[in-house]
Amino acid sequence: MKGKRLSRRDFLAAGSGAAAATLLGVPRPGESSDQPSSRVVLVRHENVLGEDGQEDSAVLHEMLNRAVKALMGEPEAAAAWRRLMSPSDVVGIKTNVWKFLRTPPALENAIREEVLAVGVRPENVAIDDRGVPSNPVFQRATAIINTRPMRTHHWSGLGTSIKNMIMFVPRPADYHGDACAPLGAIWNLPEVKGKVRLNVLVMLTPQFHGVGPHSYSPKHVWPYRGLIVGTDPVAVDATGARIIQAKRDLFFGEERPISPPPHHIEIAGERYGLGVSDPAQIELVRLGWMEEALI
Amino acid sequence: MASRWASSAAIGVLVCGGLMACSGDGPAGDDLEGVRAALPMEVAGWRAVDDGEVYDSESIFAYIDGHAEVYLAYGMRRCLARRYTGPQGEADIVVDLFELDSAANAYGVFTHDRDGEAVDVGQGALLRPGWLSFWKGPWFGSIYAEGESEASLIAVNALAHAAADAISVEGEAPDLVGELPTDGLDPRSVRFLHTWEILNSALFVGGENIFSLSSETDAVLGRYRREGGEGWILLVEYPDEATASVAKENARVGGYESRRDGKRLALVLKPATPELADNLLVNALGGAR
Repeated sequence: MKGKRLSRRDFLAAGSGAAAATLLGVPRPGESSDQPSSRVVLVRHENVLGEDGQEDSAVLHEMLNRAVKALMGEPEAAAAWRRLMSPSDVVGIKTNVWKFLRTPPALENAIREEVLAVGVRPENVAIDDRGVPSNPVFQRATAIINTRPMRTHHWSGLGTSIKNMIMFVPRPADYHGDACAPLGAIWNLPEVKGKVRLNVLVMLTPQFHGVGPHSYSPKHVWPYRGLIVGTDPVAVDATGARIIQAKRDLFFGEERPISPPPHHIEIAGERYGLGVSDPAQIELVRLGWMEEALI
Repeated sequence: MASRWASSAAIGVLVCGGLMACSGDGPAGDDLEGVRAALPMEVAGWRAVDDGEVYDSESIFAYIDGHAEVYLAYGMRRCLARRYTGPQGEADIVVDLFELDSAANAYGVFTHDRDGEAVDVGQGALLRPGWLSFWKGPWFGSIYAEGESEASLIAVNALAHAAADAISVEGEAPDLVGELPTDGLDPRSVRFLHTWEILNSALFVGGENIFSLSSETDAVLGRYRREGGEGWILLVEYPDEATASVAKENARVGGYESRRDGKRLALVLKPATPELADNLLVNALGGAR
């Protein structure tokens, strides 16, 4: 995963941040990599959630930067973020605002701060979910940072990093038939293709089972207190899926496969070339508190 | 925990009459406005925030993110959603009453999730931690507590009974359900459905709709445990024999055992062994293979 350092000349030669990412050796969705594996960072912190369940913004920001440093193989956060994007980028932070379990605003803000610290102009950064098709920043985005909580999902088995791009299509229901198998195709749309530089799968309080019309019960989330971070969305999601499956088996006291099977993860890799789902091909870096990590 | 919820159901029945401040005098007819009027504004200390919102087949997507298609697949007409706030420190309870286009479809929605303990509400009800579902006539009811406590358990059950009482008519489960062979059938596995998407969410079969399921087809799914292992029967009634015949041929090409009788097709899904598939088909549809 560790690529060569990028000089100012490299950036100028590349002409855009997106092209620059290729020079950096960052695996790009839809492109093959010389690397035999994808690196995924699982970072956890015992104190990221208070007794009231609220996130500690400072701890969360620290977790994010710790993960990005490990992902990029850089000792300093600023350097790690600079390898993900350039000041000339237009950056869309694709979040998720599902009312029961949204991406924490503290995390959105932490990402935004780091993007601005790279030198991206404020008017070239936006955070959005359902409005992305009409958001002017997303419309001219050269880079996307993808963040959402992992949860079970009625049609796709799991709400994943891969699935988080569904707001870029006009009719999400068109993907439901085969447990959302073709979700990876969305990543090949012009609005998305080659733009996602980082995936931050929120595992602070992931949801492992859904009930009722709203597919949510507080009984079926737990304080895992983690983030899964990577450039390969398939590897990130496959790692999260293993944790969710382990939690289901533990909770129900028997094997309780995720239903429907979240095969869109594997298919995103095999059919759409977005990454790798085989744990043997994933270099999992574990950071921080690892009690009951389930993986 | 489920047992605690179930035992609280009985308490809910007892306290329902005493704690409800009913705004109506009983069932006021089964149109949505009648049900809304008959649904109490206060139950067991939980008070309605307002009269409730009504959603149709378009606006439901704004209310239920990612799940609305389930109800649309069963002919949803409207949904009455009313939120109740509890005493200090208690979580809200949300009542969602879905009006379907038939009692058969209300039964179908009810069978979509069959976890939980059976409780005596409406024409069938299931209670799990935090959630009670029931069906009655062409209505499917969902009573969902956003947090758990002894008091909320009582209120959930009281609200469920009040909602069921607000619906005066009853209906029949689909006839097709009674056509499933009973030998080895797990009754709690039975699901009534129409579309391929719903089948896949109940029992994932695969990506292509090779059985030609649609809103025009009725289907019932059941899991069997017999000597030799476990398998499923999907019994489908098509709008015409030609469609049933095409589906049978597609199933054969796809490697599924089936037998057809006119517009009906019985398919065996995920049998533990080929012998079990044959065994399951012997008395499915009853007639010649």
